[in-house]
Amino acid sequence: MGRRSFFLRLASRLEGPQTLGRGWRFWVGAAVVLALASAYPLVTDSYTVGNTVYFFNWVFMALGLCVIWGYGGALSFGQTAFFGIAGYAYGVITLNWGADYGLTLWATLAAVALSAIVAAVLGYFLFFGRISGVFLGIVTLAVTLVLERFMAQTAGPEWHIGAARLNGFNGMNGMPNLTVPWPGDNDPLVLAPDLPLYYFVLALLVIIYLALRILVNSSFGNVLVAIRENSERATMLGYDVRKYQLAAFVIGSSLAGLSGVLYTTWGQYITPSSMGITAAALPIVWVAVGGRSDLTATLLGTILLIGGFQALTVYGSQYALVVMGLLLVVTVLLAPEGLILALAYLPQRVFRRGARDPA
Amino acid sequence: MALLETRKLNKRFGGLQVTADVDFVLEPGELHCLIGPNGAGKSTLFRLILGEYQPTSGQIFYDGSDITQLESHDRIRRGISVKFQVPGIFKALSVSQNLEIALQHHLEGLGLREEIERHLDFLNLTADAGQLAGNLSHGQKQWLEIGMATSLRPKLLLLDEPTAGMSPEETHATGEMVRALQTDGMTVLAVEHDMNFVRQIATRVTVLHFGKIFAQGSIDEIMADDRVAEIYLGHGHGAHHA
Amino acid sequence: MFDAIVGFLYQFGDASAFLVLCASGLAIIFGMMGVINLAHGEFIMAGAYMTVTVAKLGAPLPLAIVCGALFAGLIGILLERFVIRHLYGRPLDTIVATWGISLIASQGTLILLGPSLADISTPLGSVQIGSLSYSVYRFVLMATAAAILAGLYLLFNFTRFGVLARATIQVPHMAEALGVNTRFIYSLTFGIGAALAGATGGLYAPTMTLVPTMGAQFITEAFVTVVTGGGDVFVGTAPAGVILGFIRAAMTTWEGQLAGQIGLLIAVIIVIRVLPRGISGLILRERT
Repeated sequence: MGRRSFFLRLASRLEGPQTLGRGWRFWVGAAVVLALASAYPLVTDSYTVGNTVYFFNWVFMALGLCVIWGYGGALSFGQTAFFGIAGYAYGVITLNWGADYGLTLWATLAAVALSAIVAAVLGYFLFFGRISGVFLGIVTLAVTLVLERFMAQTAGPEWHIGAARLNGFNGMNGMPNLTVPWPGDNDPLVLAPDLPLYYFVLALLVIIYLALRILVNSSFGNVLVAIRENSERATMLGYDVRKYQLAAFVIGSSLAGLSGVLYTTWGQYITPSSMGITAAALPIVWVAVGGRSDLTATLLGTILLIGGFQALTVYGSQYALVVMGLLLVVTVLLAPEGLILALAYLPQRVFRRGARDPA
Repeated sequence: MALLETRKLNKRFGGLQVTADVDFVLEPGELHCLIGPNGAGKSTLFRLILGEYQPTSGQIFYDGSDITQLESHDRIRRGISVKFQVPGIFKALSVSQNLEIALQHHLEGLGLREEIERHLDFLNLTADAGQLAGNLSHGQKQWLEIGMATSLRPKLLLLDEPTAGMSPEETHATGEMVRALQTDGMTVLAVEHDMNFVRQIATRVTVLHFGKIFAQGSIDEIMADDRVAEIYLGHGHGAHHA
Repeated sequence: MFDAIVGFLYQFGDASAFLVLCASGLAIIFGMMGVINLAHGEFIMAGAYMTVTVAKLGAPLPLAIVCGALFAGLIGILLERFVIRHLYGRPLDTIVATWGISLIASQGTLILLGPSLADISTPLGSVQIGSLSYSVYRFVLMATAAAILAGLYLLFNFTRFGVLARATIQVPHMAEALGVNTRFIYSLTFGIGAALAGATGGLYAPTMTLVPTMGAQFITEAFVTVVTGGGDVFVGTAPAGVILGFIRAAMTTWEGQLAGQIGLLIAVIIVIRVLPRGISGLILRERT
């Protein structure tokens, strides 16, 4: 009756009450999808590969919001703020100190860490001030907008950090791609938006997805959903609700920061419009329409939605936005748990009608 | 030493004095009931003890220490637990997950699983373990919540109208459950309207009226007290409430 | 010196009027119904567009503004009936839904009516005070803001509708038990909030360029004012509008437009932290 090894215990948390998808069928399916995703770039052109990386980059931010909102019940409009903070931080560090000796990787870590620190400070202010619900959304939106407006007016040459000019509306550009120093080789591996970056991001995605699954099914995840369901009762079971909400907020915001860095290295630029009001709406749309209470639903939903909008934008971005608005309204009215989740539950509802009617 | 003691506890909401100069003492091992007409301030007193409300003035002592400034979750960690009037369970989560969240405080792994089983058995909910807690009957929800509250192994258990909405059979079963808890060493403070239940369990009774302690004693003394009858009948609220 | 004082007072009055006007509709809807309407900016846009269209047909401006307000009010009633009604008690969902509607409205207008509408000029010219000249119309706006507040006060406190509305919103099942048609009251109240937004759009239409996304300029300010003010329109939104108008004017005078905007946003963050229920929460609590 000894304790199971640490890794076995972790692995057992890959499945649990907080995530859809369990059993060997699910995991085999996931492995198949992963195999396809890995083979796919070898048979398509460089543009498509780069474009797919673009999609993947956003998923981290969506997963982060899924943790904060879907599991924790706190609607934060701040994801794009942390996206921007990390993106600009990466730019500032690499424009000042270059890309040698694997500095870009350290810059990535530092930028995400900066997001985490800012999130911790803001989160402390919010959650320990017992701000919740609508007001949480408003304050995080206000923070995002302040950041955007501030960065947008940094056009003059006096606005710079070291060698990196902030450049106002036009944003910062020219920062280096991620590079991975290759041991025993003189040339580091440059992760340009092509095959190498693709595999790098795909690997990150897999790791983070699995890590989040373990997190939300752990006792931490249990408390988080308890807070979402009935935070008074969670307090009366002895949990300090504020600390859990803060932790979820920091984790989710750091993931948004990761998205920001990846976006910046992908396109080698970052602008204040990444923090504007439309940009702030996007993660909300993906997560709400995909299925905010489940990681897998958010993952799939985000990729499908971004792909869909990109396809629509060919006709004109205003059409894409109208469709986005329609999706939001339809989802909230007809399938508030999210469209992907609604589809996932559809077989249950159709074939097992009456078995479990919510009281 | 008293387990719980309030000294000159006052609570005002704007111009309304809801709790007035309450000096309340609870000895360990008591099964104490708080009764009184609606609006007498019973639930407020609970919330003050739990830390959901801050007193306007006065102090609360628990197990010898002053907890007046302590956060709610810290008070819970010290051994106070509560069952609310409206079932405070996690309706969208399963019954066993509800218990898991309560128990994972001090247990994990195999021990946690066994303890969940034990509780399901004790609460007669083994068959419904996978059900969403919101789908349980009202009485079952109340028991689940009592189960969660007691799973924390509190020294002091606060029950806010535990039999509200229950049938007479369920009420009686709840009474037996509460008495069993007391023999386990728990002190219980309950707000109740159902006098049959109070008679079944209470060792002592306190009557609250307009936020003040109006009378205290055994259930028989209280029932025989004319003044108590008056405050109930005078407000059109029958003393026997099913 | 005289010029500086007058200039500041003008900015102050102008900013306060703007905040009170654009926030009043939102405050009615949020304060009385608990609904967050992120499409508020689009109601303003609708009012502005309708006002300009009617004015260009030859109608006098005041009439055109009334048309704009009614148009927006009508849309509000329809919106309440078909969307908002299903979302009471779900504030986060109303945020998402109204955001969706805002997107549909602004981008839809862009598709249907193009990137801008020919505007109308600001009437009434300017007046000279001291050595600077000021737009007379802006003074009219200040007066209108005060008049609208007064009108709302009379409406909600002295008319039958007003009393019924307040009763319905505070204790809906009681009102229903007394025979009040609560659904109708909700619709009408939402419509009034929308009409106020439309009126704001109409009033400011002569002073701005008309683009489908013009609502965005109003919404942040409106929200900041409502949140600072708290739930009550009179005890909250009005003083909030005045106080924030003061902050905005002060910061704009010292530092420029951008600082004014940032100052407002920072103010709301501080207010939420210190006064979670806004100014009205503070005042109403002290009153009892």
